[in-house]
Order: sequence, then structure tokens, then C-alpha cells
Amino acid sequence: MFAPVAGVNPTKTTSHRVIIPFYVYAALSFIVGCVLLFTSSGAFTGPHFQPQLLAITHVMALGWGSMMILGASHQLVPVLIEGKLYSNVLAYLSFGFAGVGIILLVWAFYHFDFGWTAQVGGLLILIAFLFYLVNIIASMRNGNHKNVHATFVLAGTLWMILTISLGVLLIFNFTFNVLSMSSVSYLPLHAHLGIIGWFLMLVMGVGSRLIPMFLISKYSNEKRLWQVFYLVNAGLLLFYVSFILYPVQWLYIISTVLVVTAIALFIQFAFKAYKARIRKAVDPQVKIALGSSWMMLIPAIMLAFVFATSQLSTHFEKLVLVYGFCIFFGWISAIIFGMTFKTLPFILWNKKFHKKAGVSRTPNPRELFSQPVFRTMVGFYFGGFILFITGIFLANVLVLQIGAGLLIICSVLFNLNVFRMLRFKS
Amino acid sequence: MNEITNNPDLCEKALDVLHEVIDPEIGLNIVDLGLIYQLDFDTEEKVIYCTMTLTTQFCPMGESIQDGVTNCLQFNFPEYRADIILTFDPPWSMEKISPEGLDWLNGGSRF
Repeated sequence: MFAPVAGVNPTKTTSHRVIIPFYVYAALSFIVGCVLLFTSSGAFTGPHFQPQLLAITHVMALGWGSMMILGASHQLVPVLIEGKLYSNVLAYLSFGFAGVGIILLVWAFYHFDFGWTAQVGGLLILIAFLFYLVNIIASMRNGNHKNVHATFVLAGTLWMILTISLGVLLIFNFTFNVLSMSSVSYLPLHAHLGIIGWFLMLVMGVGSRLIPMFLISKYSNEKRLWQVFYLVNAGLLLFYVSFILYPVQWLYIISTVLVVTAIALFIQFAFKAYKARIRKAVDPQVKIALGSSWMMLIPAIMLAFVFATSQLSTHFEKLVLVYGFCIFFGWISAIIFGMTFKTLPFILWNKKFHKKAGVSRTPNPRELFSQPVFRTMVGFYFGGFILFITGIFLANVLVLQIGAGLLIICSVLFNLNVFRMLRFKS
Repeated sequence: MNEITNNPDLCEKALDVLHEVIDPEIGLNIVDLGLIYQLDFDTEEKVIYCTMTLTTQFCPMGESIQDGVTNCLQFNFPEYRADIILTFDPPWSMEKISPEGLDWLNGGSRF
């Protein structure tokens, strides 16, 4: 005998009205990031601490990467915890506060103004993530909160709140000297808490659930995922503590080894899931998302070179720039390309066609966006990505501008497809 | 209480028409995917009880699939009302995919 579901209806997922604003904001941020990349190409031939680079980094990290992750996770957290999202209102508040805060912060950074605009912007983003944290914790309390995927998301959110709190302190430090050292000296800590604590943790937590699900893979290894979780967090904690209390290079190297080992184990997990898949045909969106797992290794290799290179070397600044570029325009962007066109068509298909399912011909969700435009976008993306890195190494503004130009075309194509899906008529 | 029967002819026809309901993400019909657990016809009250599952709880496509089953059964059996009984006990697993479904996922073309 089958036991019917009691309590919350497990088919009632998060409304598309909650999710779509995040996707739209992220898509527009991508264009802004690429245009700033073009107009600020010259800055990539100099040191890494410059107003334009600060603005680009925060458009990409917050407007593009984080807004997309926030949007997708409001849809995917219920799948991870097997429970309903606690509050749509908190999700709207997260969007509103982050949306305004990011604009203020990026505007201030671009004009190298650490006054009230940057301070208010930073605080609004912090409040947005606190709303998100409350929503995640409350949702987990009502669902299956003991699973590894949800734990990754929760820990990632806590690291992000620490990252933003430190970022806000750094902004205030420019005006009020609240820290013992200059704000610039804390940037490596601020950046890595965000990149590894937030982005890597979220990608691993959500990816470890979605990759086997999309591939219909028989492979599962929760023990391995817990090992990955502990390795990343141990690496981050060691880095944090050593940075604050005992800043020596060998401790940084140990923390890097721990995180790189975790990345290697995660890639192995993804590869085993791929090998054990039942569904042989893998669509381009999943391929690019899987490929982005390998792209995690590029910044790791860059980091090894950064360690190996003296800070006095002429190559040091270039390596730092390439390292940052590979993270935001490489790894994170590639994941977003894959996951946007793997999740958004289904969210919108659900909205437009669920009443017609089973009685009349409905389009395949993949038909909501243009496959040729998607493939062209990927082509421009890889061309722009490789050329821009070449431009940094050559310190050649023309090559940088051509690379950025290709990335602008890529961002426009990305937006064309996103808005095509939003406007698709049933 | 009306007698609810597993009328083999009606069940066979219902299963046949449910092949039209596709899991939009996977692209495979829900019968071969193994989502349909049981079909019962209440011929007096004119109700079809369909006990089914989803590949995962809170699946973003869950509502569409459930609506698809309701629409399909009511369209093909206009004198009946469809009543969906959703269960995750037992949960769906890959072993529930039919040999035809496995063949299709492997790139075969039985459909």
C-alpha cells in the first residue's frame, strides 16, 4: 500500500515571481560588467587595486554571480531540503536590498568614493544576505536539514555574511581607521572568503545534487561530499586564522592544498556521476556546467604561480589580474551560462504551459530559447575569455579591448536569450 | 463506499494514454519513467484514482507533471474525474524505469 503525502504539497515549489527578478538583474549586470571591462581595459595593464577594477569585480561577484545564485537557490533549496521555502517576502526583501546596495556600492567604487554611498551600499547588501540566511535556516528547520547539500548552502551563506561584514568594515576603515592595518592589506582575505566560502561552497552543494539528477546517474557518495565539505572549511578556517593571527606563507600553502584537494575530489565526484549516468545524451547546458568544474583548476594553477612568484616580480600583478579574471569571467560565468539555460526554461515553461500539459502539444522547455544563439554566445565567450587573458599577459590595450568586445557580444546574446524566454508566448 | 476496481481494460487504456505525459526535463514519458504506481477506477462515482510519485520532492516540474496527468486522464475519459494521490513511499528510484525507458535514455529509438 502506498502512503499518500501528508502536510505541505511537495509539488508547490517557489513561485517564478520570486525567482525571475534575480535572473533579470544578473543578466543586466553581466552586460554592465562586460561594458566596464571594455571601457576600463587600460586598467588591466597596471596594478590590481584600482577603482575601475574594484567596480568590475563587485558587479561580477555581486550583480552577476551572487544575484544569479540567490535566484536559483530560492528555487533549488526546496529540492535540496525536501521542504518548502519558508518565505517569499524574505526573498523579495533580499532582492530589493541587494539590488539597491549593489548599484550604490559599484557606483561608489567606480568613483573611488568610500563615503556614505559605499557605506550604505555595503550595509544594504549585508541586510539582504541576513534576510537570505533567515529564510534558509527557517526553511531547513521545516525540511530535511541533515543532508550534506543543504549544509553546504548554509555554511556558504555564513561565510558570505562574514565576507560582506569584513567588506563593510574595510569601507568604513577608509574613513574612520577602525582596523589595525590599511583596507588594501585585507583584500586577499575578503576576496577568498567570498570566492571559496560563498561561490565554491554553493557550487559544490547545489552541483553535487543537480549533476547526478540531471544526468540520471546511479552514482552517489555522501561520505565523499562530507569529506569535501570538511576540507574546504578547514582550508578556509586555517587561512582566516593564519591571516589574522600568524600570517606566514607555509600556512597559506597548507590551506590552499586543503581547498585544492577538495576541488579535485569534487571533480572526481562529478566525473564518476557522469560515467555512471543512465541518460547518455548530455545537453550543452550541462556540458558547459560540467566543464566549469575543470575551470576551477585554472585559478588554482594561477594561485600556485602567484605563490611561486615574488611580489616584486613584474609578473606578479599580471598573475593576480588573470587569477581574478579567471574566477569571475571564467569559472563563475561558465557555471551561470549552463545553469541559467538549464533552470530558467523549466521555471518559465511551468508558468506558461502547465495547464496545457497532457492534453495538447506543448513546446519542449529547450525550445523557449534559441539554441543557435546559445552556441554563438559560447563561441564569443571562449574567444573573448582567451583574448582578454592574452591581453593581460601582453599588457596590450588593443587585445584587451577586442577580448572585452567579444565578451560584450556574448553578454548581449545571453540577454537576448533570457528575454526571449521571458517573452515567449504560449 | 463504492467498489474501486483495477479494471484491467480501463487501466490498460489509461496507462496507454498516460504515455502522452512527458517529464519535460528528462524528455521521457512518465509511464516508462516509472512515476505511475497504481490506477484504480471507481466506475460508480466516475473517479480515476491515480497513485503516482515524482523523481524528487519539490521538483520544479512536479506541478506540471501532476497537472499533465489530471488533464490527460480527464481528456481521454471525459465521464471521469481524475484524483491524483501523490506518494513518496516508496520513493522513486532508477530501478523503476522500464526497459523501454532505459533503452530510450541510452539513445535507442523504441518510441
